[in-house]
Parts: sequence; structure tokens; C-alpha cells
Amino acid sequence: MAALIEARGLTKTYRLGQVDVQALRGADVDVARGEFVAIIGPSGSGKSTLMHLLGCLDTPTAGRYVLDGEEVGGLHGKRLAAVRNRKVGFVFQTFNLMPRLSIEENVALPLKYRGGIARRERRARAVAGLEALGLGHRIGHRPEELSGGERQRVAIARALVGGPAILMADEPTGNLDSKAGAEVMRTFEALHAAGNTVILVTHDPNVAARAERTIEMADGRIVA
Amino acid sequence: MTLLESILTGLDEARRHLGQTLLALAGVVLGTASIVTVLALFGGQAQLTQQYLDEVGGAGTLIAGDAPRSLAPTARELASERLTYRDARYLRARSTTLEALAPGWELNLPYRANGRDFSGQVAGAVPDYARINAIRPMAGRWLSDLDLETRSRVMVMGWKYADSLFDDAASAVGRLVNIGGKQFTVVGVMEREVFRFASWEDNALEYRNERAYIPLSTAFSQFAQTDNLSFMTLKAKPGMVEQAEDEVRALLYARHGVEDFELRPSGSFGGGGESGQFLLLFNYIFLVVGAISLFTGGIVIANILLASVVERVRDFGTRMALGATPGGVFTHVLAEALVVTVLGGIVGLAIGAGLTGTVARVMQLPAAVTPGIATLALGTSVVVGLAAGLYPAVRAGRLSPVEALRYG
Repeated sequence: MAALIEARGLTKTYRLGQVDVQALRGADVDVARGEFVAIIGPSGSGKSTLMHLLGCLDTPTAGRYVLDGEEVGGLHGKRLAAVRNRKVGFVFQTFNLMPRLSIEENVALPLKYRGGIARRERRARAVAGLEALGLGHRIGHRPEELSGGERQRVAIARALVGGPAILMADEPTGNLDSKAGAEVMRTFEALHAAGNTVILVTHDPNVAARAERTIEMADGRIVA
Repeated sequence: MTLLESILTGLDEARRHLGQTLLALAGVVLGTASIVTVLALFGGQAQLTQQYLDEVGGAGTLIAGDAPRSLAPTARELASERLTYRDARYLRARSTTLEALAPGWELNLPYRANGRDFSGQVAGAVPDYARINAIRPMAGRWLSDLDLETRSRVMVMGWKYADSLFDDAASAVGRLVNIGGKQFTVVGVMEREVFRFASWEDNALEYRNERAYIPLSTAFSQFAQTDNLSFMTLKAKPGMVEQAEDEVRALLYARHGVEDFELRPSGSFGGGGESGQFLLLFNYIFLVVGAISLFTGGIVIANILLASVVERVRDFGTRMALGATPGGVFTHVLAEALVVTVLGGIVGLAIGAGLTGTVARVMQLPAAVTPGIATLALGTSVVVGLAAGLYPAVRAGRLSPVEALRYG
């Protein structure tokens, strides 16, 4: 399998007032195309920082990062935003849906930010994505009218709509009851089975157990 | 995403956050409305002041009078004859800056006519007086050159006196009136002069209806031993008020050898003086209130926009995670600010115009929202809105996605 993520010596240092905080102290990560990886560790271990760097939400203080054959470690602003838009799909713990937009408008947002896609086509792709995740009957509704599990599946549809190289989820079941959480996990498994690369961050061992491989973090380092 | 799309997203956002948008709108609406109302009322008040000054003589009119005598007069002061009819003739002959000149004389005398009597003002006047002061008789005629030459015993009555002596003002013409023990024939009655600063205010010009005019020459021959004047009304040639003031001062000084006279612009003299000063103060108050409301409106707009951005930092974080660029977020926030201020400005303008109309009707002010005021108020709210939106927009554009997502 071809390497999708190849990171060497990823380091992130935050400045908190007068103090430098080393959130990540040189992490080497390789993820192959089609893998299902869980990043685990206690809070403060650096797992979220690692995911932010891998997801191009943040830039590393030091280190090299190649995502899908493209060197992205030194990119900023507009160019980093373009990489995020094309290569990464995000799913958040709190869903982060726009409350005033209908669910299909929410799903179409990444296409809108990509530019050059007609409104009609954006909508068609969003609707197709929602139908694929069993949410066809919810089209036209606002996020607040949906259950937690449904909202998270809308968020997954939004993450997938742009055809990203990688799907990243930060504690995707953290705000769901066990039944809805299990349903969301089944969705991730199905997506993985269909060939998608999935990386999720969690501190729940049960969630991590569903992944093919786990990266365990402690004190800003990968320990296993 | 293109610029146009960023703007459209911002507009769309403003529409969807209708609650917040309305709140921000309310701030802009109130700010703009207060600016419009205050400016329009200020304009109306200024117009009223101008009208009043025009009524009492208008711009370009000077009034000369005797200065109060000093407590310890110098020899020159004692030697001076004060302001005389001869001064007036001298000025008329020598001046190059005056268009017209009307010497005047005033005395309180007993009136008796139609079985009634009272004491009131008698004014000795010349034909030019009516022209300078833009007053006309409503019945009969005004004093003529012939009246002056022949020192005839004719009088032109102010409206109020004619009305109170003869019940119907116009019927006074041709009647006999005894003033100071001498019979005068009424040849004319002046139009009533009315000016109210507000509908409930007294007539500010009533003092001008309470007098009778007789030829100046008759006044001197019948009631005075000298030709001393009470005042002189001087009308400068257009645009030469200051030159006229200097020239008249110099000419009078040359004749008197001492500055025992006063020269003042009309409108700050006599019965209208106090109101004129009061108006000036009033205008300043309006101006200050207008500036404060403008500033307050701006602060309200800025605050609400900032709050609405801070409230949605996480949303912007999410949008950036989905691929929004910093520039896109900046444009988005600015477009929102713009739509709020333009909309709020228009609604505020309408409310301000309505308020102005109501106040103008109740107070009978000539206040109106002119295109200039509308442009100024709209322009201010848009400029203030943009300025207020710029800071939040820059902040939103500079957000790091991670920090924005963590926010709140």
C-alpha cells in the first residue's frame, strides 16, 4: 500500500505567556492508504495536537510532513486552507454544524469553499452524500431537528463530500450515547471497508479497539 | 471561493442570523435615526433663525445709536451733539458703502382716539425705513417724501394700535388720532408682523406692531427741540457690511470727535436681541447633541458587530477547517457588517424622517430631511459600520483554525 502520510520529527511548541509548552516532541507517523488508525492517549498527551498537524489545521514548529505526495509542513494561510479543503475531511466531537443552514447546505460547504462548482452540482453532491449515509429523509431539515447520531452522520457526509484523501475524527462519539456512538462507529467501519483512510483520536479504549492499528501517545511522544 | 461568493456568504449569514442581525440593525437604526433627526431639526432651527434675522432687518443691516454717556465725560464728549439728523444727511452724502439709510426717532407719548387713551411709542421715520425693513402697509399708504418736506401731521399706525383703537385695523385710515396733544391723520396701517419660534411662543415681533410712524421732520418740529436721533438704520451694499461698518464709524468719529455712538448688526438690537442670542445658544446645543448621538450610534454599531463575531468564532473555525481561507473569512465578516449598516442606515433614515416630520409639524419648524442630510447620515452609518466591521473582520481572518475551534 502506498504511503499517504509520511511525517518525520513533527514538533509543536506553544507559547503560553512567558513559558514555552512542548505539545509535541518529535513524532514520526506513517499511514498507508486505506488504513484505519486510532490515536489514543490521556488528555495532554499531544494526541489532538498531532491530529491538528496531520489535518493541516496547524503548522508544525519543526519537522517534515508529506501528505498524499505533497510537502505541506511549511504551508500557511490560503495554501494550507486549500490543502485542508481538498485532502482532509474533518469530523468533530461537537459536530460543528452551522445551526442556521439546512443539512444539505452544511454538507455542501466544503464544495463552496473549493470554488468553481455550480450551486446546483454542489447541492446534488451533498444530497447524494446524505443519501449514502441513510439521511435522505432528513434533507431540508435544520441540524437542531436531528438526533445526535444523525447530526454526526451529517458531519461525516460533510467531511466526505469533497472526496478527501483522509477522514479525520476527533472524539467522534464523545458527545453521543452508546447506541448512537455504536452507529457512528459502524459508519466509520463501513467507510474504511469501502477503501477510505480514517484517523480518529479518542481516549475510549472501546473505540480504539475498532481500529486496525493504534498510535499511543504520552507526554508529546509516540510511545507505541 | 471568489470574492463575490464570500460577500454572498456574508449576506446569507446576515439573513440567517436574523435575530442577531436585527439586534445589530436596531443599533444602526437608532444611531442613524438620531443623526437624521438632530441634523434636520438643527437645520430647521437655523433656517428659523435666518428667517427671524431677515424679518428684523436681515443680513447687511446695521443699526447706529447713542452710546451711554460716561460718568465723567471729557470735554469732547460734552461738546458732541450726539447722533443727529445732520449726521444722517452727512453719511448719505459721503458714504460709498451704504445702499440706504433711515434715521429714526422714538418717544413715548399719550395717545387719544375713539374715546380711548393710553401711552405708547411714536416713531419718527423716513420713507426708506419701510424699504430697509421690508414692511408694507395693509391699508392706506406709507410715509412719503412730501410728508417729510411739508412736515405734515400724518401717521401710519402699527397693526396692534390700529386694531385696539378702532376694532378693525383697516378702518383706522382717515381717522384722527391725538398724540401728545396734537391731531394726526391716519394715512395708513402697517401689516401685522408675526414671527413665532414655536406655535406656543408669543409673537416675537409684536413690539413692532405696537407703535405709530410719523414723518421724522414732523417729529422734530412738534415734539423735540433738537434733531437728535434715537437710532439710524443703515443698509450696506451687498457684501460690504464690514466695510460699511468701518466707514460709518470713521465718518461719525470725524464729526463727533469722540466715539459716543454704537454700531451693531441688526438682529442683535432692540426687542429681538435677546431671542437672537438665545437662538445662537440653542443652535450650539443642537450641534453638540448631534455630534454626541453620531458618536454614540457609531459605538453601538461597533459593539454589536464585534459581539456577533466573537459569538461565532467557533463557526469560523469550522469553516476554516472545511477550507475557508483567511481572506474569505475576512470578506464574509465585512460583508455582514456592510449589509447590517446599509440596511440599518436606510431604516434609520426612514424613521428619522418620520420623527422629523412629526416634530416639525408639532413645533411648526421648517425642518426637513434634505438630500444632504440623508447622504451624510447614510454615509456616516456605512463608514462607521465598515470601520466597526473592519476590526472584527481582521480578527476573524487572523484566527488560527485550531484556536478558533477551541474557542468557547
